[in-house]
Amino acid sequence: MAEHSPAACFDDHCITCGDEGIAMQVVAVDEVRGLALCEEPEGARSTIEIGLVDAAPGDRLLVHAGTALVRLESA
Amino acid sequence: MRYVDEFRDADLGRALAGEILATVESGRHYKVMEVCGGHTHSIYKYGVDDLLPENVELVHGPGCPVCVIPMGRVDDGIAIAHEPGVIFTCFGDMMRVPGSEGTLMEAKARGADIRMVYSPLDALRLAKENPDREVVFFAIGFETTAPSTALTLRRAKAEGVSNFSCVCNHVTIVPPLRALLESPDLRLDGFIGPGHVSTVVGARPFQFIPADHGKPVVVAGFEPLDILQAIHMILLQLRDGRCEVENQYKRVVPWEGNLKALEVMSEVFELRPHFEWRGLGFISQSALRLSDDYADLDAEQRFSAPGVRVADPKACQCGEVLKGVIKPWECKVFGTACTPEHAIGTCMVSPEGACAAYYNYGRFARERAVV
Repeated sequence: MAEHSPAACFDDHCITCGDEGIAMQVVAVDEVRGLALCEEPEGARSTIEIGLVDAAPGDRLLVHAGTALVRLESA
Repeated sequence: MRYVDEFRDADLGRALAGEILATVESGRHYKVMEVCGGHTHSIYKYGVDDLLPENVELVHGPGCPVCVIPMGRVDDGIAIAHEPGVIFTCFGDMMRVPGSEGTLMEAKARGADIRMVYSPLDALRLAKENPDREVVFFAIGFETTAPSTALTLRRAKAEGVSNFSCVCNHVTIVPPLRALLESPDLRLDGFIGPGHVSTVVGARPFQFIPADHGKPVVVAGFEPLDILQAIHMILLQLRDGRCEVENQYKRVVPWEGNLKALEVMSEVFELRPHFEWRGLGFISQSALRLSDDYADLDAEQRFSAPGVRVADPKACQCGEVLKGVIKPWECKVFGTACTPEHAIGTCMVSPEGACAAYYNYGRFARERAVV
């Protein structure tokens, strides 16, 4: 499983600091802990906080600093 | 990729540029501020400004959180990072922001245990894995990252993680816009509103701009066609004599924002009476600190930090760049003493800073134009 590299902050865009988030797809949901395993379009996976949205596997979420802010329309 | 490729379509972009050209009045100069650093980055990356008529000027706003953090706060972070037993965590860009005696990256090289994290949740995980250490998270950002910090602090409190704390530098988007609008330096015709901040706060908070200042606002996405369409919508409002908040980014931004995010933020944070913004000075009620219920997790109470205000280097003109008074290339040290590799000013640090974005993309087009 490809893990997200924090070093990406030095590349083209800093997804944590700026206003722009990234779209990720939900792979699996841990409802007890309020977390989800999510995948970026390039395949990197991260554990994402989903306390602010209703999320199910297959959903696309806009993620900022490890937290999903909004559920996007399904692809 | 759906929702991306169609917003980068060159033919549609050229068509929109034609509509913009047909909308503007010759002889009138239009100044439109993109509030958010993400928009600045996209504008330079995709050459959006090259598609605009000469009398439509884009002015870069203060919406890059790294760019507005004052040097004294960086010094405070470095002081805490040097405390015995501390693991100091922060986002990537923060590592390179200069304080009065260097950056967090340089403090790390001198021996402080400073680690880059992708999210505050990663910092909390570090605290659980290192119960004999104090893990401090240096929180930064607008309302996009503040909910993430708030949820993590709520989680730390619920799970009783006592060796975790937070230096809160979160800022809010509306007060600096008020300050800019009241500044005599700047005459603006309209605003491209921040896209992802608005997923949290909604579009409603920007209504004071048309209501009190008579300027249109269009909340926009980050793809080149999003930005072109937002500019066109602003110009149409100006042409038609309308003045309102419009939402170009409806596919992502709900008008009311994310109520759960606003609720957790109001539980965990409270407004600071005032906070210093780099280049903009002190702005009242423009930043967040931990509420009394979360005081136990406040690193500023747990550790002693200098808390000293530090003036920016004299050569640095980030303040004027952040207020849109000068363009990045008009700064005396742009591209010479100040580069992304050796930044003097914060605007050159983050990829979303106006100077770094222009340095990485725009300067080549300008050099070609000069030649």
